[in-house]
Amino acid sequence: MGIKVENIGKSYGRKIVLNNLSMEVPSKSFTTLLAPTGSGKTTLLRIMAGIEKPDRGRVLYNGIDVTDVPVQKRSISMVYQQFINYPSLTVYENVASPLRVSKERYSARQIDERVQEVAKLLKIGHVLDHLPEELSGGEKQRTAIARALIKGSDFIFLDEPLANLDYKLREELRGELKTVMKGTTIVYATPEPIDALSMSSHIGYLNKGKIVQFGTVHEVYTLPLFVDVGHYFNDPSMNMMEGRLVKEGGKPFISLTGDLKIETSGLEEHLAEHKTYIVGVRPQDLSIMPDRVGMVSFEAEIDFTEIVGSSTTLHLVHGDLNLGLVVHQPEKSHRRGDTITVYLDPQRVYVYEKDSEKLVIAQGEAVPA
Amino acid sequence: MATIKLVDITHTYVKGRVETPALRGINLTFEEGCPSALLGPSGCGKTTLLNILSGLLIPSSGRVYFDDVDVTDLPTEERNIAQVFQFPVVYDSMNVYGNLAFPLKNRKVPHREVDQRVREVACLLDLIDDLDSGPRSLPAGKRQLLALGRGLVREDTSVILLDEPMTQIDVHQRWFLRRELSKVQSRLNITMIYVTHDQYEALTFAEKVVVMNDGLVVQEGTPEELYRNPQHPFVGYFIGTPGMNLMECRLEGNRLELPGFTKSISKALAEKLKKHGAQFKLGVRPEYVHCDTRKHEGWFPLTVTIVEDRGEFQIITLQGDGSSLKSQMPSTLQVTEGQQMWVNFLEEKVKVYKNDQAIV
Repeated sequence: MGIKVENIGKSYGRKIVLNNLSMEVPSKSFTTLLAPTGSGKTTLLRIMAGIEKPDRGRVLYNGIDVTDVPVQKRSISMVYQQFINYPSLTVYENVASPLRVSKERYSARQIDERVQEVAKLLKIGHVLDHLPEELSGGEKQRTAIARALIKGSDFIFLDEPLANLDYKLREELRGELKTVMKGTTIVYATPEPIDALSMSSHIGYLNKGKIVQFGTVHEVYTLPLFVDVGHYFNDPSMNMMEGRLVKEGGKPFISLTGDLKIETSGLEEHLAEHKTYIVGVRPQDLSIMPDRVGMVSFEAEIDFTEIVGSSTTLHLVHGDLNLGLVVHQPEKSHRRGDTITVYLDPQRVYVYEKDSEKLVIAQGEAVPA
Repeated sequence: MATIKLVDITHTYVKGRVETPALRGINLTFEEGCPSALLGPSGCGKTTLLNILSGLLIPSSGRVYFDDVDVTDLPTEERNIAQVFQFPVVYDSMNVYGNLAFPLKNRKVPHREVDQRVREVACLLDLIDDLDSGPRSLPAGKRQLLALGRGLVREDTSVILLDEPMTQIDVHQRWFLRRELSKVQSRLNITMIYVTHDQYEALTFAEKVVVMNDGLVVQEGTPEELYRNPQHPFVGYFIGTPGMNLMECRLEGNRLELPGFTKSISKALAEKLKKHGAQFKLGVRPEYVHCDTRKHEGWFPLTVTIVEDRGEFQIITLQGDGSSLKSQMPSTLQVTEGQQMWVNFLEEKVKVYKNDQAIV
């Protein structure tokens, strides 16, 4: 059940946008398509919705092939990055419009009840008699979202709906969308990791026209299977450091720089000597205090500090490495040029094979192939 | 580089008979060499102020000074400013070198000097290996650096204005660009003013952040001051993700009556508040709102309505009768929507406002 896309191919001229892509969106899930700009997520969303046709492959809704069903005949709604409303209609009529053109023939009373209901949900009850041009950006997008909700469509597709909103409005809507959309199958395209983290139940990470990883948010966050998933699905990005497996005093280590090594005892069968690995560690998992047992320490120079509300991000330099470190305090006691001791917990790192970019060790445990 | 001073600036847009006030009395100083930010929501007047700084707009009243020179009536080209916009302004028909050299060639600077300046600026911005490339082949972050570089090659630039420069740039490119901007700022000691609605960008870039709302400056200060000590409830709400919880409350003896629950407070605090009346607005940051599944003395019960997972922590929305409170808790706390929680916060972590002014 839900939405299934199978072996989707799409090109524009000679440019391949989607390359034999398959994915299954669970029914009633809030699935986020997370991807850098230009990686094909809008195209995929439009193909799923039926606005565009794939060159190859099929789209199934609840097990039924809808690839050739025109968009008007599908039970879907769409919300775009641009705030799209009918400029000559009031907010009330904008929200009511899908019901007015529906074959279901709703009575005026039924329509009024539904409009009031979704208007309340999206907090636009006080502007129902306004025209779209009299609204703020946030209210315009709330109107478009209300219109998408009113039909009770089986599937709602949202293409970066918060991109043109102020930071603060985005933050508010993020919290609300999750509640408002409950009970419907949602596909939400965005380049922002925080959207995926705060709203969705599932996430598909898309890059270069393929789904690189699909799973629940928790699965993908705790087990990012490829280097670029780990790197992208975190803000600030996961720190990535290259190193080779060496043996010293009979013990295996991944040697990252001259004095920074991570012991990998107990994991010998999953790692090969002299092979090159990429070790990933989240900026939140580096520490300026040895707050856990068995942490590895190294010296780093502070390049600069950024205070972001309740936390501080330190940009650090250690040899050739540029590293981010997040401290959960708003403080600027660290100055540019200071050298500090940084602690890394070997139990919190992700080890990727350099050649295949595949995850082999996650937080101290081997990842099944 | 210059110190920039705005004195009693007001501006009203007039369209037919309709007058829309955009700025309602602004007094500000941007110190020489200080990275500053103008932060506020759409419609707060920050873009109007930027246009007045750049000379695109003459204010209805008030004066603009660059050092001690009154530039209020000077056109943009006589102010020696450099600007970076949302979309990088670069010439795609020229390579990176040509783009950087253009402002100097235009001013008939000798060839050798042009070459030297272009290379200096390219080194500073890590564009030295890209000099022969076309701007189109550069990632968005580097295109913005190139646009900045065109402002930096001239040595008489008095200020650099950045207007939402990150809007078109991917999350992870922003990290790189922020780092580069910070480097340029510290090496050259330039006056930079960064205009944005995004608190994250303002706080990470600036040493001094000016928060604007509704045509006025609400508070100016370092990122830390604005976070720790919001003087106006708007600043508490606007700075921080999520913003400060703000609730109307009434003082009754040694208790604060809030919608949906009551909080006991110390006698000292009650005495202090009493001098200002009985009706207040209370503010508390989500990270100071603690919740637990077990009951504790003095804690109050609220229902969990939304749980937002942010990776290493979660944002929990709690609701009582007429109140809504957000709490930031570690991801290790098991919590489900619909569940009842016991909630409390320390009074030392609370801000109290009367008529939108912080009194505690």
